[in-house]
Amino acid sequence: MQRIWIVVLSVWAMLAIVAVLAWSSRPATPLPSTVVQTAVVKGSGGKQPLVVLKAPVHATTATSATVRP
Amino acid sequence: MSALCRTEWRAVGTTCAAAVTADSPDERNAQAALSAAQDEVAACERELSRFDPASDLSRLNAAGGRWAPVGRRLLETLRLALEAREDTGGRFDPTVLPALVAAGYERSFELLEERPAAAPPDWRAGAAIELDERGGRARLEPGAAVDLGGIGKGYAAGRALDSMLAASSDLAGGLVDLGGDIAVAGASPEGGPWLVAVADPRHPGQTLAVLALDAGGVATSGRDARRFGPGRSLHHLIDPETGESALAGPLTVTVVAPDPATAEVHATTLAIAGPAEAEAHVAARSPLAALYVPQIGPAIPLGELPVVTQRLVVKAA
Repeated sequence: MQRIWIVVLSVWAMLAIVAVLAWSSRPATPLPSTVVQTAVVKGSGGKQPLVVLKAPVHATTATSATVRP
Repeated sequence: MSALCRTEWRAVGTTCAAAVTADSPDERNAQAALSAAQDEVAACERELSRFDPASDLSRLNAAGGRWAPVGRRLLETLRLALEAREDTGGRFDPTVLPALVAAGYERSFELLEERPAAAPPDWRAGAAIELDERGGRARLEPGAAVDLGGIGKGYAAGRALDSMLAASSDLAGGLVDLGGDIAVAGASPEGGPWLVAVADPRHPGQTLAVLALDAGGVATSGRDARRFGPGRSLHHLIDPETGESALAGPLTVTVVAPDPATAEVHATTLAIAGPAEAEAHVAARSPLAALYVPQIGPAIPLGELPVVTQRLVVKAA
């Protein structure tokens, strides 16, 4: 009987954790069909690009170089 | 899907681009809108550039504490800068120019290693700026000088976008990019939001994230570009509290705000802030959002950042 209760409580605990995780994670903005994620595999020898597909961006923001007269 | 008309040109010391989403097959309206954006950027540069000795800002800086006539763009940018100084408690300060010059910003890059920079001995933050908006003039505290490099570029991007969209009723949307200070409004050619990539400061040529924006501004600030001085420890980001190159702060920070001038103000502010300070700064100023790239470690999204894709780091099994 005790084992049954342990199993039941474990299942409920697991469901509660899943519910909390689902509730706390923000809904992801849907990806435009033309945007492809880039994945990078981090191996012992450093990062090795796995998939690099350029997103169809309209502009890129970056720190501008120092302006000279 | 609509047509995209785009142009690129050099201005404000950087590469500029403007693009419009045109619903009409007649490209003349789109071309007129793009010309309007270029004209507006040129007009802003004539008033706001500190590298042009004939600009309104240069004449104001050289006025020695006397009233100087200034254009409405400079007046408006000075007012925005003063409001930003108050909002950030002095962390953003347009009067850091003497400290910036002392740090070596205006010297030949090859000579910068030779002299350790320091704040000018008589410099202090928060110098007074008086505006007479009705009379079209401004006055600085004697000895003070103003630099509007960042906020001026953001302001020009916003004004150029407004000019562009006002030039034609056929346009569904537009984008102006002044070397990374970006303003967008309306629909992109694909019909959805405009996609703005955030450059990865650690991997030149790669993208750290892609943001989706319906309207507003984006700006990036940081210390990944030119560094100089002993051990390359100095950069152009001046901490108004010390008058010297800021010690704390990220490699880069990208801010999304309702307009590009506001994005620039807060990018500059967060560029001298630690992660905890940056998080509190963004949390207190909704709808600001930021992507904070620390000098070591993964990028930290702050606020409701409209990220549609970002590079994933997957540990190998």
